[in-house]
Amino acid sequence: MFHFALKNILFYKGRSFTTFILTFISTMLFIVYVSMMDGSHDSMLKNSLKVYGSAIEIYHKNYRELGGNEYLIKDVKTIENKLANIEGVQLFSSRYETYGLLSFKEYSTASMIVGIDPQKEAELSELKNALTSGEYLKNDGQNCIYIGKGVASKLKVKVSDEISFIGGASDNSFAADIFRVCGVFKTGLFEFDASAAFVSKEYFDTLMLSQNKASYITVKVDDLNEVDRINGEIIQALNDENLESLTWRTLMKTMVEAMEVDSIFGYVSLALFLTVIFFVIMIYGFINVSSRIKEFGILRCIGLSKMRIFSLLFYEIFILSSLAIVMATPIAGYICHYYSMNPIIIEGIAEMYKDYGIVSDELPFSFNLFTISWNVLVVLVLNILSIVYPFMYVYSFGPIEASKHV
Amino acid sequence: MIKLQNVNKYFYKGEPREVHALRDINLTIEDGEFSLFSGPSGCGKTTLLNAIGALDSVDSGHIFLDEREITTLGEDARTSLRLNEMGFIFQAYNLVPVLSVEENIGFIMKLQGFSDAQIKKRVLELASILEIDKLLGSLPNSLSGGQQQRVAVARAVAAKPKIILADEPTANLDSANSKKLMDMMRELNEKEGISILFASHDELIRDSVRRVIKMNDGALI
Amino acid sequence: MYRLLIKMAWKNSFSRLSRTLLLITMIAVSMSMMIGIQGLYDGMANNMLDKNKRSASGDISIFAKEYRVQKDIKYRIKNAELIKKDLEGMAGVKAVVLRVKADGLGATARKSSFASLYGIDLDAEEKFGRFGEFLKEGAISFDNRGALIGLELAKTLKLHVGSKLIFSTQDINGDINSLSLRVNAIVQTTNIPLDSDAIFVDRKKVQRFLGVKDGEVTQIAIMGEEESLENSLKDKYPEYDVKSFLELQPMMQMMQDMMFIFNSITFFIVMSVVFVGILGVMYVSILDRIREFGIMLGIGMHYKYIRLQIFLEAIFVSLSGYISGAVLGAILLVYLRDYGIDLSAFSDALEMWGYESVIHGTIKLSYFTTTFTAIITASILSIVIPLRKIQKINPIDVIKAEK
Repeated sequence: MFHFALKNILFYKGRSFTTFILTFISTMLFIVYVSMMDGSHDSMLKNSLKVYGSAIEIYHKNYRELGGNEYLIKDVKTIENKLANIEGVQLFSSRYETYGLLSFKEYSTASMIVGIDPQKEAELSELKNALTSGEYLKNDGQNCIYIGKGVASKLKVKVSDEISFIGGASDNSFAADIFRVCGVFKTGLFEFDASAAFVSKEYFDTLMLSQNKASYITVKVDDLNEVDRINGEIIQALNDENLESLTWRTLMKTMVEAMEVDSIFGYVSLALFLTVIFFVIMIYGFINVSSRIKEFGILRCIGLSKMRIFSLLFYEIFILSSLAIVMATPIAGYICHYYSMNPIIIEGIAEMYKDYGIVSDELPFSFNLFTISWNVLVVLVLNILSIVYPFMYVYSFGPIEASKHV
Repeated sequence: MIKLQNVNKYFYKGEPREVHALRDINLTIEDGEFSLFSGPSGCGKTTLLNAIGALDSVDSGHIFLDEREITTLGEDARTSLRLNEMGFIFQAYNLVPVLSVEENIGFIMKLQGFSDAQIKKRVLELASILEIDKLLGSLPNSLSGGQQQRVAVARAVAAKPKIILADEPTANLDSANSKKLMDMMRELNEKEGISILFASHDELIRDSVRRVIKMNDGALI
Repeated sequence: MYRLLIKMAWKNSFSRLSRTLLLITMIAVSMSMMIGIQGLYDGMANNMLDKNKRSASGDISIFAKEYRVQKDIKYRIKNAELIKKDLEGMAGVKAVVLRVKADGLGATARKSSFASLYGIDLDAEEKFGRFGEFLKEGAISFDNRGALIGLELAKTLKLHVGSKLIFSTQDINGDINSLSLRVNAIVQTTNIPLDSDAIFVDRKKVQRFLGVKDGEVTQIAIMGEEESLENSLKDKYPEYDVKSFLELQPMMQMMQDMMFIFNSITFFIVMSVVFVGILGVMYVSILDRIREFGIMLGIGMHYKYIRLQIFLEAIFVSLSGYISGAVLGAILLVYLRDYGIDLSAFSDALEMWGYESVIHGTIKLSYFTTTFTAIITASILSIVIPLRKIQKINPIDVIKAEK
């Protein structure tokens, strides 16, 4: 039947050519489109994670839901000692976050001010690399403040200017101080740059009375793929029902969900293309098969069973679609690989979609063999499904009826 | 041996246009017969041929092929029977257009699982008898009517079936080709011992066969 | 003659019923899916555009010069009430609102965040942009130190209806001032900056809080559809910054353009594939009957009648597909418009991106007209090659030839 199928493919050139081309196009389209979609999602997630996010964060229970000073972590040192012994934990650091008003001359703005360990933070996030002017923080106990570009614009300050701060301390009293702007950063995350400022925690603790306290502890792991295992070990090590340890999937749940929604819409559009292509492949298959009803009738008369007829049709479509897929997949795969290494740059897209967390004008593709494989499988399965109706049509004729078909 | 007992067949049964196509047929076909079902158009010859060939069902009665009843067989069993024990020749050649002459002749043997060497040997043998040995590499659409019909005969005979059923095999041939065809088929019948049943109203066939079974209005006369 | 041709064309169109039905199904399914998707995307885009206008800038906004760059209250419009009265008397102006805005710190007992205070007039906002439709929870009112909070800000500060919050900022004199408020309602405008930061309070209260006079505002927003209105206002108020919606939100236009490009590409690809499908069926249908046409030519039928018959066959089949697709598509669009798609499972994500949990589609006549044109064009083009074949027929050859 395989040999017979090959002969039919070469004989009925119109159908073969159309099926080949449509399968080729749908394979290319599917692989490249999904790659582009996944690539942009990965990029958004990675950028958010890289800039200031964490693989794991440890909180006091209720801090994220309710906030407030009573839900601060109160014994940071004990937790850090436990974390130091867990395999897979590369680095960790505590952060003390609060909101306050920053003012310079007649300008003021609300901002998040975070006490950090500058040395550790340099490895945990992109803050140090995001420096645009001045210098990054040091662990020197000085009143340096490292502010986002948006904050600097609102206050109209530059490096070396002094700004005043007023906010609430960890004991609910008011805290106020003067900071010197030592550096300005720009991460590209629009909202973050417009409302974030950092000071050395060592200095900030004396102002906010937050020694050995933290809003949360951020943890960097050796391998992101092991994050769930490591998180499990952290929870075990902490052994405290008042503490919760959360991975990035929970922390960035909304963003992950947003990616899923975007994917759904992407797949809906793809489904439209694939549906139309499926129908046309089926129509061409149907036309070809119905023009051979008489031939099939004769074949059944002389003893060809229905399984053999099905296998004949199956081989025909399998050969055609496999050929097309085998040709399209490396080309599409190369395109995905190339653009994953050399992202497409669309000028202005970061500005356009800044509210959606798009940080960069780069549009990287994703190159994932598993994804490519299932894409290809879907196209193959659809092609094979396209012969179901034509086969049912052929088989609806009895052998005699078919052999007399005009 | 083929035996028919009280076989009846209706078309459009229960409808106003009901046709009693086969009426109480009782018939025995011995091995090696070279016989003809003869009668006017619509007398039921093709219907009878189709019933014997397990192509069509009957409404009552029994048909036996070597003591095996074929009337009660399911679709798959019938197909298997046609593949392994019967050969068919149709009015309009009905070769597979994408296969060469050699491939068309060997087609049924291929389905039955014979090796390429065995198929090749048999094909050459038949092609020689039927004088189509120079056409083995050609496609059917490049052959004349007579040549195509000879290829169809070779295909039907190739796997040495018990019986060959030929429905109006000479209808599309001129007289010279028709005679040539009938001579070759008689030679195959005598040489191979295959029973050959014809349904036709061609006088040439009637003059060639050893037995004529006359029919009229669905009954044997 | 023409009645006979129509009858023949109609019967021939459906002589191979399975094949024809398959083609009609393909056209119907493709078309309905495509216009459904277009309607959904357009609905989302229009919704966002509409709500952006209604909640923020309107069709045109007036600011003091420098305000948009400096974002400082010292750059404010000082005789806003007079300007408003003037504007309301102008032809083409449907509604005018005055707004005062200040950025500052929103804080509860437990959390604080960047926030923007908007002083608005509820009645005027209702007339301007049906503000009441933004309500998500609670009641739209400023009673009892009431404030209306943007949805995302409410999530950030963990606010519910009845919660208390303090807003602090610098007033016109540079002094830090605080305002104590109670949440009366949570609103979702789907305008991301507003939902993330906005605290809406009575305008006069905000003016007093900031130390500005009654007739002094940071923004005058106008709803008016006439294209010449913007230029008239620019000429009338050269001392102010008069900006249209698209000038204030150029990215909205770009997003719309990108959506248009995407829809056009989708349309082109789908219609091209549909064309291939129609071509296949018509080509085979005509080739199957080439002998019949040869005989017709042989017995004296003019080529022009055969051409007309084939043309009618193509039209009948594609029209049948189009009508089926239009009916299916219309049902889908009406459902999407009236009931929408419930994506509440992803509500957090959608709200973050400025969409509602239930996404509604829109219906435009252009969906049906452009698809009609495309399908009819495709069906006419599909018969060009087969007609050429018939033109070249020698009737004798065709009659003699075996099939």
